[in-house]
Amino acid sequence: MRNDDNVIVSAIDVNFSTAGQQLLSDISLRIASGNITMVLGQNGAGKSLLLSALHGLIKPQRGIILGPPRQKQKMVFQKPILLRRSAREYFEFLCPGLDDLSIQTWFEKANLQPRMTTPVRQLSGGESQKLALIGALAGKPDLLFLDEPTAHLDFESTGFIESKIAAARKAETSIVMTSHNRAQAERLAEHVIFMENGKVIEVATAKIFFSSPQTKAAKTYLKHN
Amino acid sequence: MEFLDPFKIAFDLLFSADPELLSIIKLSMTISISAVLCSLLVGLPIGAILVSVKFPGRQAVIIMSNTLLSMPPVVVGLFIYILVSQSGPLGWTGILYTPYAMAMAQTVLVLPISISLSRQVFETLNNEYDMLFVSLGKRRWERIKTLVFDARVALVTIALACFGRAISEVGAVIIVGGNIRHVSRVMTTTIALETSKGELGVAMALGIVLLTIALLVNVASQFISAHFKKAGLDV
Repeated sequence: MRNDDNVIVSAIDVNFSTAGQQLLSDISLRIASGNITMVLGQNGAGKSLLLSALHGLIKPQRGIILGPPRQKQKMVFQKPILLRRSAREYFEFLCPGLDDLSIQTWFEKANLQPRMTTPVRQLSGGESQKLALIGALAGKPDLLFLDEPTAHLDFESTGFIESKIAAARKAETSIVMTSHNRAQAERLAEHVIFMENGKVIEVATAKIFFSSPQTKAAKTYLKHN
Repeated sequence: MEFLDPFKIAFDLLFSADPELLSIIKLSMTISISAVLCSLLVGLPIGAILVSVKFPGRQAVIIMSNTLLSMPPVVVGLFIYILVSQSGPLGWTGILYTPYAMAMAQTVLVLPISISLSRQVFETLNNEYDMLFVSLGKRRWERIKTLVFDARVALVTIALACFGRAISEVGAVIIVGGNIRHVSRVMTTTIALETSKGELGVAMALGIVLLTIALLVNVASQFISAHFKKAGLDV
C-alpha cells in the first residue's frame, strides 16, 4: 500500500496505548505534501505522540502509517538528543557523507562556525536546536517533523528556525510540526490538525481554522491562546 | 624489632631503588596492565552487545556477570590452575607458574567488572540515544560504535577500576604463579611471603607502593571525571 502522489504521510485507524491508557484513538488522516502542517492542541492532547507515530518512533498497537522511507524523513526533537562529541562531529552524525565545504556552509548559515569544535553539550539551548535543525535539513528530507522546535528559545534563535522552516517549505520539503505559540502557528501553518485527548477532532486549512474553527474545543483553545 | 623499624627499612629500600624490588613492581604492573587490556578487549564488546542486541539468554548472561563480580579470587585461581595444569585442557601451553597464567587469572577476575560497568554505561547512553538512533535509521553496528565512542571517558574510569582490582589481587596469582623468585613474584604475593618470614621491611615497602598506586589511580579517576564532566563528555 502506498500514498497518493499529493499525500506525504497518512495514518489509517491508528491506536496507541500504554499502561492501560489510550493515548492515540482512531487516528485517520492524510497530510498533503509540500505544505506546513501544524498539529495543535492543549498539553497532553497527544501532539508529540502523533508525530512520533507518524515518524515511526513508536509502533501503534493498531492501524497503519504510510510515509516516505526512513532515510527520506527527519525529526527534530523538542529537546535535541545530544551526543558526547563536538558540534561538527554531531552534525556529521545527523547528516553523514557531506563534504567539508558543505559542512562549513551549513555552520555559516546557522552562525555556528565559531562553535564547530565545541562539545555539543556545552552549546546553549538555541544553538543546539539550530544545530539539530541544520543537521536535519542538510539531508534534504522529503518529510520533516518538528516537535516544538522553538520552545524556550530566545527571539534570535526562534527567528532563525522559522526562516529555515520557511526556506525548507520553499524547497518542497513537507513539514509537520507542533507549536504552543499561536502567533508562530498562524505565521507558518498552511494546514492545521487539532487534537484533544488523543483524538483528531478538527482538520482544516490554517485560514479557516484560525478564522472560524468548527469545534467547541478548538474555539476554546484559540480563545485561550 | 621496634614498631617503626619496618617503615625505616621500607623507605631505605625504596629510596635506594633496590633492583629486586623494582623488578617485582615492574612485573606486577606488566601483568595487571595486560590483564586490564585483555578484559576490556573482551568485556566492552560483550557489554555493548548486551545492551544493543536482544537475544535469548541475555538476562542469564547479565546475572552471571553480576554474580561473578563477587567471585572469590582463590576460586578463579583454582579454576585457571585446573585449566592450565598439565592434565588440563590448556596444559599444552605450559604457562602454569608463569606471568601468562597470572595475567590470565587477573583477566578472568576483572572481566566481570569490565562487562558489568561498561554495560551500565552503555545502557545509560542507549536509553538516552535510542530515539535518535531510530529516527536516523542507524543500524546495530553503528549504534554499538556510537555507544563505545561516546562512552570513551567512562571507559577510562572503568579501566582504572579494573586496574585497581587487578594490582591488589593475591589469592589467584599465588595459586597459578607459584610466587617463584625472579619469575612470578609480584607485589601482593611478595608481601604475603615476606610477612610470613617476618621480613616486614620489604613487605612494608611494597605495601607503600601499592597504596601509592591506589592513590594515583583514584586521583586520576577523579581528575578525568571532573575534567570531562566540565566538557560535557561524561555519562
